[in-house]
Amino acid sequence: MQNIPLILAAPGMTLAKAVMRPDSESRMPICGAGTALTELLIERLDQMGIASVLVEGHPVLIEGEKTPEAEIKALDHRFRQVCEDPLMIRLKEIYKDRLIRLSEEWHANEA
Amino acid sequence: MQTKREEINRMVQDVKSLPALPGIVVKLRALAESDAASLQIIARLISSDQILSAKVLKLVNSPFYGFPGRVSTVSNALILLGVNVVKALVLSSSIFDLMEENVVGLWEHSLGAGVAANIITKRLALPDGEEISTAALLHDIGKVIIKIKLKEEAERIRLKVDGGEVSIREAEKEVLDVDHAEIGGWLGKTWCLPEKLIEPIACHHDPVRSVTYADRTAVVHLSDILIKASGFGYSGDDLVPRIQEAAWKKLNLSDHVLREIVDEIEDKLIEVKNFSLEIQSSHEGKV
Ligand SMILES: [Fe+2]
Ligand SMILES: [Fe+2]
Repeated sequence: MQNIPLILAAPGMTLAKAVMRPDSESRMPICGAGTALTELLIERLDQMGIASVLVEGHPVLIEGEKTPEAEIKALDHRFRQVCEDPLMIRLKEIYKDRLIRLSEEWHANEA
Repeated sequence: MQTKREEINRMVQDVKSLPALPGIVVKLRALAESDAASLQIIARLISSDQILSAKVLKLVNSPFYGFPGRVSTVSNALILLGVNVVKALVLSSSIFDLMEENVVGLWEHSLGAGVAANIITKRLALPDGEEISTAALLHDIGKVIIKIKLKEEAERIRLKVDGGEVSIREAEKEVLDVDHAEIGGWLGKTWCLPEKLIEPIACHHDPVRSVTYADRTAVVHLSDILIKASGFGYSGDDLVPRIQEAAWKKLNLSDHVLREIVDEIEDKLIEVKNFSLEIQSSHEGKV
């Protein structure tokens, strides 16, 4: 799953989360998760003032975006003072597993 | 001679010494103190200030509270969130406004903690989720006061943190003889916030000290730690604090549930980031 600015959205990408109308009283969904983006749909989203969308996988390289590997390094660094505490070790593993999953998505796209 | 600690306590107790809050906030405080003030009067007061009501509505509709429908009026916000929460939101949006650009990181850390608290309370089915989220949103408000009122000391604290393996809280204690959590508690008293908001703010780094609202404090304690673990925003140092055992036992989460909570928070933080960017660009637009 990747959060991308709408200008980087392209036909063929799949929404990972529903897009909601930004202006309506009842937060109506415009289109649901799993919808494939088309030229027309992207244009419509733009007209409705949608600035970013969540798409499946990791389709674009955004400048300055950290790789999951770099994120894992940063995670280890943040936990450096509590790396002997059993509870904190368990907590760190939860975050690490998540980053490993993201890393797989990221590299699946490269292949 | 007055110790540094006493000096800061006195400064925080004196409303006049605090950064000038908009007049409306002062009026609101007076109103909320008297029980006679009805929701309508308070709603009318906030609504009379367009910028302020826009801010309150923005926060209420942010991913932070996550109401399924959009809250479009201040009276609805008051009904949904209660007077206490809206009062705290008005105060905090005014205080956060005083922050300079370079504390966007602290604003994001605070919003993130609010989101985390919201998700944890829902998962544990704790009552008063909105109030607990608000306490989490405000948990580091003491840092804002240190930044804007004690500039020279804040710089010394920053240098200590940057210079070594010291947390911001340890550095504060060395320089000020008091930490931001306690200062935040004093601030809450000055603002006449209810004790159930003050205690979690004052004890978020040492939850065993929280006696009356220990559950709420435990949630805020964990929320802060999860946001630091996630690396979202910047709260003044990059060290994840240890979860206190008593608080952990109180929450009684299994690893499985914790995993689900973390996943939900991380997904939500993407929205929070977008929200924060939106707020920043609307600020830039104003200047
Ligand atoms: Fe803190
Ligand atoms: Fe914090």
